[in-house]
Amino acid sequence: MASSEASELLENGSIKKEMMRHGGRTAHNMSSSSLRKKSDLSLVSTIRVGFLREFLVNLQEVLLGTKLSVLFLAVPFAIVAEYCSFGRAWVFGLSLLGLAPLAERISFLTEQIAFYTGPTVGGLLNATCGNATELIIAIFALIQHKVDVLKCSLLGSVLSNLLLVLGSSLFCGGIVNISKQQKFDRKQADVNSLLLFLGLLCHVLPLMFKFTAEATASATLALSRASCIIMLIAYIAYLVFQLWTHRQLFDAQDDDDDDDVVLDETPAVGFWSAFVWLVVMTAIVALLSEYVVATIEAASDSWGLSVSFISLILLPIVGNAAEHAGAIIFAFKNKLDISLGVALGSATQISMFVVPLTVIASWIIGIRMELGFNLLETTTLALSILVTTLALQDGTSHYMKGLVLVLCYLVIGACFFVFRAPMNSSINLEYKSSQDHVTMRV
Amino acid sequence: MAASHEAWLLENGNIKVLSKEMRYASAGRTAHNMSSSSLRKKSDRSLVSKVRVGFLRAFLGNLQEVLLGTKLSLLFLAIPMAIVAKYRNYASAWVFALSLLGLTPLAERVSFLTEQIAFYTGPTVGGLLNATCGNATELIISILALVQHKVDVVKYSLLGSILSNLLLVLGTSLFCGGIANISKEQNFDRKQVDVNSMLLLLGLLCHVLPLMFKFAGKSPELTAVGTLQLSRASCIVMLIAYIAYLVFQLWTHRQFFEADEGDDDDDVASDDESPVIGFWSGFVWLVLMTGVVALLSEYVVATIELHQCDPTTDRWKRSRTCWGNHFCIQEQIGYFSRCSSRLSNSNRLVRGPLSVIVAWIMGINMDLDLNLLETSALALSILVTAFTLQDGTSHYIKGLVLLLCYVIIGACFFVFRAPLNSNDLGLKSSPGQGIMRV
Repeated sequence: MASSEASELLENGSIKKEMMRHGGRTAHNMSSSSLRKKSDLSLVSTIRVGFLREFLVNLQEVLLGTKLSVLFLAVPFAIVAEYCSFGRAWVFGLSLLGLAPLAERISFLTEQIAFYTGPTVGGLLNATCGNATELIIAIFALIQHKVDVLKCSLLGSVLSNLLLVLGSSLFCGGIVNISKQQKFDRKQADVNSLLLFLGLLCHVLPLMFKFTAEATASATLALSRASCIIMLIAYIAYLVFQLWTHRQLFDAQDDDDDDDVVLDETPAVGFWSAFVWLVVMTAIVALLSEYVVATIEAASDSWGLSVSFISLILLPIVGNAAEHAGAIIFAFKNKLDISLGVALGSATQISMFVVPLTVIASWIIGIRMELGFNLLETTTLALSILVTTLALQDGTSHYMKGLVLVLCYLVIGACFFVFRAPMNSSINLEYKSSQDHVTMRV
Repeated sequence: MAASHEAWLLENGNIKVLSKEMRYASAGRTAHNMSSSSLRKKSDRSLVSKVRVGFLRAFLGNLQEVLLGTKLSLLFLAIPMAIVAKYRNYASAWVFALSLLGLTPLAERVSFLTEQIAFYTGPTVGGLLNATCGNATELIISILALVQHKVDVVKYSLLGSILSNLLLVLGTSLFCGGIANISKEQNFDRKQVDVNSMLLLLGLLCHVLPLMFKFAGKSPELTAVGTLQLSRASCIVMLIAYIAYLVFQLWTHRQFFEADEGDDDDDVASDDESPVIGFWSGFVWLVLMTGVVALLSEYVVATIELHQCDPTTDRWKRSRTCWGNHFCIQEQIGYFSRCSSRLSNSNRLVRGPLSVIVAWIMGINMDLDLNLLETSALALSILVTAFTLQDGTSHYIKGLVLLLCYVIIGACFFVFRAPLNSNDLGLKSSPGQGIMRV
């Protein structure tokens, strides 16, 4: 016991030095870390057998180290429901619930791995795996040829990050800190806004293409694929900017909350165990995502909601639950830079990385997936980016800004709630052009 | 004479003392108040104070204060002329024009009266009163138009008032202020403007989504129900936003909105520091004036359909709404005031949702869908205004550009002749192929 305590102290002592080395302390890390809890090692340490004890510690750290751990129970329930052929809607709901803690654990594990691999690779890992859930859902939707579900879920993710997560954190932060001045560094917001507008352009152009008379499906496809390559280039440049050349813009503020986050200073699990856990969790996420994507139509029928509503609103809310909670908590503490980093960073990631990646994946698989959304969705995306950019322009915040963003999200949600369009009715392919006039059906 | 003279001095003497408390306790000394107050003039009591009978003197003093206390009081003559014209069945163009002329001073007086009442009811209620009653004329016109099932009139007047506020009034004030102060730096506090811009964008979102709905649906029957439900839900959201904005403006963040009281105390201190009429007399006058406004508005709405051969949208927009807001412009030549962005918000965020909800109650199907042309004009105006005001400074070119935008939009609607009460306004879709024509 004494030796372990001593080793802990030794570890704590070298924390300050180690802090300098760990560059992957992004806002993303810090927000998820607020959902962690210090694992209580007292129970486990009573077990005599060394190997078993370490294994159980590991288990406890990974499985119970989050406040969302109770939702882990949904995972076996979902698997049972699938095999015993319960109602499809049950499978859908349980899988959704099970995805929430898994998403959080994956980000925890990538962070642990980042301790060992150094700052740059760690940052890269964080950047990519931060939205692992969305990526996996996207790939499954692609495999099952549900391109519209895929697009809607990605769009919904961007919207929920920009409006819901950002809005609710600004609102809650504003209410709690109503007497203080709330500032944040607007340079980070500016860069993200620029990238989001680039993404918007890449979505709008293929859509507009369809309205012109000479558009052929193959030309739109070629344009989409080219835009995706450009978006990926922009994203890589953004990573270089964020993790290397202009890192000082993105450093999380960690002046007076060392107590909360000090438990992140040392890795709680070893490198290989973290790696193994990561693989296992990713596999479970893949399984649950497959259930989700397969049962989405059944759920929409039995719940009476349109598929576009489910994929646009419900899926992203679940996938972002952990980040959402974290962003709000940091806004409470008046650390708006972190909340902004989480929300905007996520939105940029999905828009500039996940979307192009799925288009390229579809290219490889041979599915003809284009970039353009529906007219309705593109407009909501454009207006959301506009409202968010305007809100973040002056570097201060108050609860009114957050409230307006949340209300915008509500209106968009209401819109898709009442919008019942047949989902897989080849929406992208009904653009006929004739010689007298352009006919358009969206 | 001496006694009343002394009383006057006493009042004036007290004014300085009262002014400090009054200023901070008085209901929202908002920019709205200050702008209207420039149109007031000190009532000259010398004539009235000759009358011996106390009661009569008080009554005449009251009358003079209310009726003649504005530079626009000349236009009051238009009211009886309009009523005469209506009953003698003169040409409807005369009734229309005279009613419009008569409405202008009434609008100003109504805001004056609400401000006076606000002195008695305290800051918060006063601010609320100001916020809603400031648009009394236009609210009444909307409700009357709805009763007569002229849904499009309401929608387009709403649009027109927003556009004229954003572009015409703001542009003129920026332009004139810039020319007059060409050597100085013109700054203003951008925080208030930011909140207003965001609320305008929320409103824009609520208009754009029902429009997009129409394009995205398969057939008009299917989308009509959805559009209506979405419009009603959006209106509830907008009302929530408006209530939150009132809380924000009048309670939690009032320091953003306090009007600039730097060096123009001389102009406005004397007029507004103490109420010039009693609470009940103010109330009675308010009710009376509202009644007259309702009457004239009914004339206006009734005569408007007789102008259908004209591009009704354009005329309705430009004549009606500009008059109502024109008094703002004169205020702003000396210094730049924020009244226009505020007014435009109160307009939209109260009138739009309220009209839809009133229509809902009455069983009329009014949705928030304006046509593609109007919505894009609205979107671009909001964008241009938001970007113009976002850095907190101003000069005459900004104003000029806004004005020119308004001229272009006016020209656009001038040449655009659409039948007003036909439902799809040129947008048809059929099951075989969708055709879109704007």
